[in-house]
Amino acid sequence: MIETPDRLSVDKNDLDLYADIEQEVFLGKQNKDRFLFAMAFGFWHRADEQIARREGFVRAEYLTPQDEALIDALAVAEEESASILSNRRRVFDIAERYAHGGIQLLYNQVQSEQLGSFYKAFERDIFDVLRTQYHDGQPSK
Amino acid sequence: MRIEKLSLRNYRQFRHEDIRFHKAPQTDLHILIGENGTGKTNILNAINWCLYADEPHLSSSSRQLPILNLQSYTEGRDGDNQTVAVEIWTRTQDNTRIAFKRQATYTIYDDQEPIRRTKAFEVVTTDDKGNTKILSEEDAASYVARFVPKKIREFFFFDGERLNQYFRGENPNVRKAVFDISQLDLLESQVERKLKTIVGGLEKQAGQLNPQIEQTREERARQRANRDEIRDRIRQAHTEASLAKEQIQELENKLSGIPDVEALEDERKRLKAQEATKQDLRDQALHEKQLLLFKRGMVVMLSSALEHTIRLIEDKEESGEIPPRLDPDILRRALDDGLCVLCGQPIEGHAVTYVQHLLAQIGLSSDVTHRLAAAKAPLHQLIQDAKQLEQDARRATDSIRAFEQDLEDIRRRLAQIDRQVSNYDKEKVKNWYRMRNRYEEIRTEAQQQIGALRQKEKELTTKIDDLSKQLDKELGKETRAQGIKNQRDFCNKALDVVRTTKNAIMQETRKRIEQRTQDLFFDLTWKRETFESVDIGSDYQIALTHTLGMDCLGSISAAERELLALSFTLALHSVSGFNSPILIDTPVARISGEHRSNFGQALAQVSNSKQAILLFTPDEYSEHITRVLHAKANTRLRLHLSKDETVSNIKEL
Repeated sequence: MIETPDRLSVDKNDLDLYADIEQEVFLGKQNKDRFLFAMAFGFWHRADEQIARREGFVRAEYLTPQDEALIDALAVAEEESASILSNRRRVFDIAERYAHGGIQLLYNQVQSEQLGSFYKAFERDIFDVLRTQYHDGQPSK
Repeated sequence: MRIEKLSLRNYRQFRHEDIRFHKAPQTDLHILIGENGTGKTNILNAINWCLYADEPHLSSSSRQLPILNLQSYTEGRDGDNQTVAVEIWTRTQDNTRIAFKRQATYTIYDDQEPIRRTKAFEVVTTDDKGNTKILSEEDAASYVARFVPKKIREFFFFDGERLNQYFRGENPNVRKAVFDISQLDLLESQVERKLKTIVGGLEKQAGQLNPQIEQTREERARQRANRDEIRDRIRQAHTEASLAKEQIQELENKLSGIPDVEALEDERKRLKAQEATKQDLRDQALHEKQLLLFKRGMVVMLSSALEHTIRLIEDKEESGEIPPRLDPDILRRALDDGLCVLCGQPIEGHAVTYVQHLLAQIGLSSDVTHRLAAAKAPLHQLIQDAKQLEQDARRATDSIRAFEQDLEDIRRRLAQIDRQVSNYDKEKVKNWYRMRNRYEEIRTEAQQQIGALRQKEKELTTKIDDLSKQLDKELGKETRAQGIKNQRDFCNKALDVVRTTKNAIMQETRKRIEQRTQDLFFDLTWKRETFESVDIGSDYQIALTHTLGMDCLGSISAAERELLALSFTLALHSVSGFNSPILIDTPVARISGEHRSNFGQALAQVSNSKQAILLFTPDEYSEHITRVLHAKANTRLRLHLSKDETVSNIKEL
């Protein structure tokens, strides 16, 4: 039986960053979604960073099968092996590192832009990724 | 007959003033100028008071004050007597001088209003040989009637506002004017009324002989009284409708060019509510789009990892690792324990090698394969949703843009409304609109009432006619009433003759006035090519016809309307046979600009053949008027009120 840690953690210094960009980016969502978004953003920009001071942020029991699938996919892609999935601690570590890197990038981006413009730029960039990633609905190899 | 001098003693603002009106060979024009409150209108009142013992043009402030001049009043001591006197000195064409003199003596008291002690009116005539006669009572009154009878004085001495209003009402009293000028009141009051009284008396006499006759007679009298009441109510309703129409006109003049502020404010309120709703919808749509980007953007950002994992899962499915055919945990336990989990037999030798080989083939633990197997469907779903992102986001964007367009349209209209109302006192304008609507309701109600009352009048007339026929029949049956019936029939025939004569005179007078009005109007007007005719119909409705054939009375300017009223007034003078002066207080107050010159020219022309005394305010006596009248006038006087506002002086201009 794989032992699963009971929570996903963030760096204690990141708490203020999450709070500061709440209105602009997170739209009132819960910690779980905030964490996953920061994690995805960190992965997208290939920015991962080790946490210095751990602070519990998301209880593992709140993760849905879709959330778990996202975290697992990230770990598998990172290690390029499915066997990483047997080490939940390691899987969570990878997620936490990318979330830590991602939240800092998000914060910096929001600070450098005009208020209310985050999603305008994000929409543009995301569509570029979609178009690059998928031609005629199929993933590019 | 013309006025040579007007003397005022202790009358209102005037302590001791004599105004002389000298005539020049070509013209008889006289101008007096005074601010409001200096006594200008009280000159008009003085003439009325002297001739008719009343003051029909008193302002509300003058009404509060005694007729006695205030300076005289304050200088007098308790118990002193002061006399108010007005004299009008006139001269006829045969050079007879006639002076109309009225005076009243007042006792002054410290603690109350002055009390009139005596009053007197006399007329002094002096012929060209110097023979003088002093007349009083009825004889004096008859001279007034020869100068300007009281019934028609409003056509000789009047306020200019009268010219402005004369043809604006719904039922201008043209009929009354024609009647008064015809002096048919004598025929009506003396002859017609007398005959009716005689007929009434005869019928009552017959009624005493036969109760049936009496009953019918009384019933007819009742219905006649009802009909008279209905006619009074019709007249009242006409007045109401006429007044309402004037008010509507006045308010429409005020509102000309001003938007309906109340309607615009209502629209504004509605638009503000719509704006708030649209703003909420737009914000909501934007928020939903952002949530869409948040949720699916997450997947897009991880799409490479997701695709990699899906490929790995599919590879493992192809190789048979997923789902696992053998549980690797069982195989590992078997190796660790050296025992088969299923049968419990020891595993050794080639069995161990075989199990190791199987284990190597599996590669992944059962937990891991389960996780991978469980992840496949969600990952596929996430990818499918992510691919739809651009399409769904575009739909959301279109929706937001539609709301933004609506908001732009609403805000543009709001700005337009704000611009429209910003220059006006909104409350005042709203009030004007409300008043106009109210007067329109009043006018409609009055007109409806007139219609209903006319119907009732008609029914009553039919009833009265039937009762008259019934009465005739009953009189005919009653042999004892034969003589009475013959007398009554004779009187009724005489009444018919009187009425026919009255109508004939009225119609003849009407035609003469119509022709004279037209002649004067065309002579005085500055637009000689515009008008075709002036008509006064048998219903006494006046019509002014354009050369193009349509009635244009409702669309002419204020100046033209006043000119028509002036022409009508002068026509009345001409037809009446009274060649008396015309005195107009504030003749051009309602006329502006170049039209003042035109109207001034008309007044100057009138003064060529008739004495014209004109009372202007300084504002009225503008450049447009002075240009045409000043040089021509024989008399140019200015009224000045003292600092303590108790006395006015009259000086040459």
